[in-house]
Parts: sequence; C-alpha cells; structure tokens
Amino acid sequence: MKEKSIKEPIRKKWIWVFMVLLVMAVVPWYFPSAAVEPFIFGFPLWAFISLIFSIALCGYLSWLCRTQWNLVEDEEESERMKEER
Amino acid sequence: MELTFAGADGIIILSAFAVIMLVIGYFSGRGEKNLHHSLSGYYLAGRNLGIIALFFTLYATQYSGNTIVGYAPSAYRTGFSWLQSISFMTIIIGIYLLFAPRLYVVAKRRNFITPTDWVHHRFQSKAVTLLSIFLMLWGLGNYLLEQLVAIGHAVSGMTGGTIPYQIAVLAFIFVMLAYEWMGGMKAVAFTDVMQGIILMVGIIVFLIGGLYLVGGNFAEVTRYIHEMEPVKTAVPPTEVSINWFSMLLLVGLGASIYPHAVQRIYSAQSERTLKKSFSRMAWMPLITTGLVFIVGITAIMLYPGLDTVGSEQIVGMMANDIAAINPFYYWMMIIFFGGIVAAIVSTADSVLLSFSSMISNDVYGRFMNPHASEHRKVMVGKVVGVVAVFLLLWVAWNPPGTLYEIFILKFELLVQVFPAFVLGLYWKGLDKRAVFWGMLFGALLAGVLTLTGNKTIYGIHGGVIGLGLNFVICVVGSWLLPSAADKPVEEEEYQTLRSKAN
Repeated sequence: MKEKSIKEPIRKKWIWVFMVLLVMAVVPWYFPSAAVEPFIFGFPLWAFISLIFSIALCGYLSWLCRTQWNLVEDEEESERMKEER
Repeated sequence: MELTFAGADGIIILSAFAVIMLVIGYFSGRGEKNLHHSLSGYYLAGRNLGIIALFFTLYATQYSGNTIVGYAPSAYRTGFSWLQSISFMTIIIGIYLLFAPRLYVVAKRRNFITPTDWVHHRFQSKAVTLLSIFLMLWGLGNYLLEQLVAIGHAVSGMTGGTIPYQIAVLAFIFVMLAYEWMGGMKAVAFTDVMQGIILMVGIIVFLIGGLYLVGGNFAEVTRYIHEMEPVKTAVPPTEVSINWFSMLLLVGLGASIYPHAVQRIYSAQSERTLKKSFSRMAWMPLITTGLVFIVGITAIMLYPGLDTVGSEQIVGMMANDIAAINPFYYWMMIIFFGGIVAAIVSTADSVLLSFSSMISNDVYGRFMNPHASEHRKVMVGKVVGVVAVFLLLWVAWNPPGTLYEIFILKFELLVQVFPAFVLGLYWKGLDKRAVFWGMLFGALLAGVLTLTGNKTIYGIHGGVIGLGLNFVICVVGSWLLPSAADKPVEEEEYQTLRSKAN
C-alpha cells in the first residue's frame, strides 16, 4: 500500500520562519525617512517595496495552503472513489 | 453617506436584491427534510459545502460593507501607511494555517457544531466552557449590532432618505431572518455567492470610475499628495509601524477565531475543498482592501482638506461623481451600493447563524436541556436569534449610555479564546484552570484598557496586551499548577478521520 504523505504546516519550522521574515519586510520599520522618492507606479519607494512584500505574502500563503497541508485528503479521496464505484 | 443619484432606482435595485436573496433562501431549504431536524444540517449545511460556496461564504463573511465604507476614509486620512489593510487581511490565512488543518480533522471526527464544542471536548471544564461561550456571544452580539446599524445607514443613504433608517433596517432584517430561517447555513452560503460577486465587481468598477475622475493617472495623484500633505506619503514613524504589527496580530488572531469563521472550517465538504478555498482567499486582500486603498488615496486629490466627519462621506461623494459620468456608470454605481448593502447583510447573516448555533447547542443543548431533540434545539436557536436581533435593534435606537460603550468591545474579547483553541490543540500540558484565569484576566485587562479610552498603548492594541497576559497566565500557570489528572488527555491521532478512542 502506498504510504500516505502527511503534511501539517505547524510541524514545519521553515514555514513560520519565512512567514515572520516576510511580515517583518512588509512593515516599513526599517526604512530611512528619505525612502519616499522615487515614486514607482505612483507609490512612494517605501510603500512600493512594502506592497511587493505584501503580494509575496499572499502568494506564499496561497502556495502553502495548496502544497504543505495534507492530513486526511488521501483518506477522503479514497472514500469518495469507493462511493462513486 | 448622501447620494443624490439613487432614489427610486436605488429602491428598485434593493428590492431586486432582496427578492433574489429570498428566492435563494427558499430553494436552499426546499426538499431538505432533515435541514430543520439536525444541528449540523441547519448550522453547517450538512458539512457539505463545496469549493465555490465555501470560498464565497468565507469571502463575504470576512469582507463586509465596512471594508469599503470604512476603509476608504481610513486611507484618505492616514495616506500610504493604510497599505497595512492588505497585510492584516492576508495574515488571517497564515493564522488559519496554525490550527485549521488539525481542527478540521477533529471537528469532522467528533461532529462539532460550534467552536465551544472543541473547548468543551479539550478541557472538560464547565467554567472554561461557560466563560468562552460568554466571550464569544458578547463579541458576536456586538458584531451583529454594528452590522444592523450599518444596514440602516447604507440603505437610507442609498435611497437618498426615501427609505428612512428604521424602515430600512426592519425590511432587510426581515429578508435576512426569512432566508436564514428557510435554509440555514446553506442559504447563508448560497446568498454569499451572489453577495460576494456583486461586491467584487462593484469594487473594480468603482476604482475604474475613481481613476477616470482623476484623469487616469495615479502617479499624478501621489505627486499631488506629496506636495500638499507630505506626511501621507512619508515613511511612517516608529509608532505607526508598531501599530501596524499590532494590527497584524489583533486582526490575524481575532478574525481567524471568529466563531462564524471557525464554523466554516467545520462546514467544508473535504480537506481539499477547505485548502483550495483558503488558497484563493489569500489573494483576496489585493483585489478588495488593496483596491479600496487606492480609492481612498485618489479621494485625497479629488476632495482635499476634509475633516474626519467629512472624510467619512467620500465613498458617497465619489459614487455621485462617478454616476454622473454616463448611464453605464450610473447603473453600476446603483448596483455597487446595492452590493455594499448585500455585503453587510452577508456578514450579519453569518454572525446571526453562529449566535443562534451557540444558543442551540451550547447554552440550551449543553446546560439547559441536554435531552432535547435536535429539532427542538434548532427551533430554540432560531427563536432566540430573532429575539436577540430585536433586542440589539432596541439598543441601536435607544443607546443606553454606558451599555452602548460596553458594546464597543468585540475583537478585544473574542480574541481571548485564542490560547484555549490553539495552545489546546498542540500542548497536552495546558491546564484548564490556567486557561480559565488567562481568558478571564486577558478579557478584563483588554476591556478596562478599551473602556478607559486607552485603545492603544505605544501603538499596541488593548486586545493584544490582554492576549499577551492571557498567554503568560496559560503557560506559567500550566507549568506551576500540579497536573490536574482528573481526566487523562485522550490520545488523538490527527492524520486520520477515525478515532482510536471510538
């Protein structure tokens, strides 16, 4: 029988380390006060960089949901297949 | 929010939306014989929500009318640092990842109906269960009150006062109660699909209209703001950054643990459905709060120099101007405002359903009449829900001074159940007495700080400070207290739906 591939996000430290780093990058605490110009696509420099990290956070979380979470999916899918038969 | 363009056309659109909601509610309940005889059937749509319904019900519940009407003025007043609204709505999914995978498995296996079912199952303590019921019902009651008041303002504003505030609230509450009564969670989820789509499309058209008004050049808007009000484009000062972190914690922890949000985890058809829905939800802040942020920034150039009260009107002012562009925009703005009303209703219905489920299952079913049939429990929840709505309406129309002030507390209290949930899921050593005192003192501290006007201290929210104390009491208390071995913790295996204990 094929072994189940169990994935639970809370068990993987790297997920949370990377998430904290992304959050730290989203909040603009580290910018010097001169980081307003240039304006990029109408955003002040600091806001543009913060926005990029915000988008990265959205993408990262979306990817985590799809790839790093698998507790009972195999079980549920095989049940469903049985029922369909 | 004064609208000069709507009037009779607004009434037509609102009536059409109301009829559609009622029809959806009717068809959701039709032919479902067991719906009103089963707690999980009525409150969790039979734990069978597929990807589309689950995604939209998560979306419509999390983003309410306030996301537009309240967040655009915030962006107007604070400037670019309101970018935080994207990150604090995104981080909710990160917090879900902490506990949703495991909670989904336990809930499915143990047939949980309400969040309190987990608290009761984990701690087997009347005190902890009762306190968490109280905090959650209080938070939900307050949340519902806010939505009811918002419905009244939105509808009367949209119809230019043709439908007065009180009539507006009563009419929409009747619609909401009717479809919820007929179809329970199924009706709530299916109406959320309609409400969510209108909201998404409406925001996009509103933004396009707003950009059209400023000549289509967002860079020009920023340059204008930088010249006139440089503080709104400047790098935020340290206190704003601290407040931003605090918002991430408060909203992330608070919104993910909302009882109605937790019940959507229980309602999922499968793990695959749940994770796909979350995966899509992670992108939603960009096309919801992100676009509303740009609307608010654009308004700084369109309507310069407004004070706080004036800025609260910007969505209405902009809608008037966009509606005047051409007939297409006119009708889109009417539909958009109907969408705002629908978004408020979609949040209110979820909160009401959750409130009723806790009355049915936790208060009545657990403490008052444990032997009652499921049909009776469902009926008690429905009737008490209706009574609660009218009590809240009475509070909204006759705000009795201090009571109204106490109602300010929402996130601050709700968020205090977080340690019992998440620490309880992973730490066997978490002691129920520590959880009780942590929850109680955390709620008291957060409540006192908020009610004494100290909403934030050094930019940190009272709710977060209370939660910090709550965590410390939970952890230190559990280490210090001798293990209360009155009931051994059951071994759970979270990688299968079948329990060893069964």
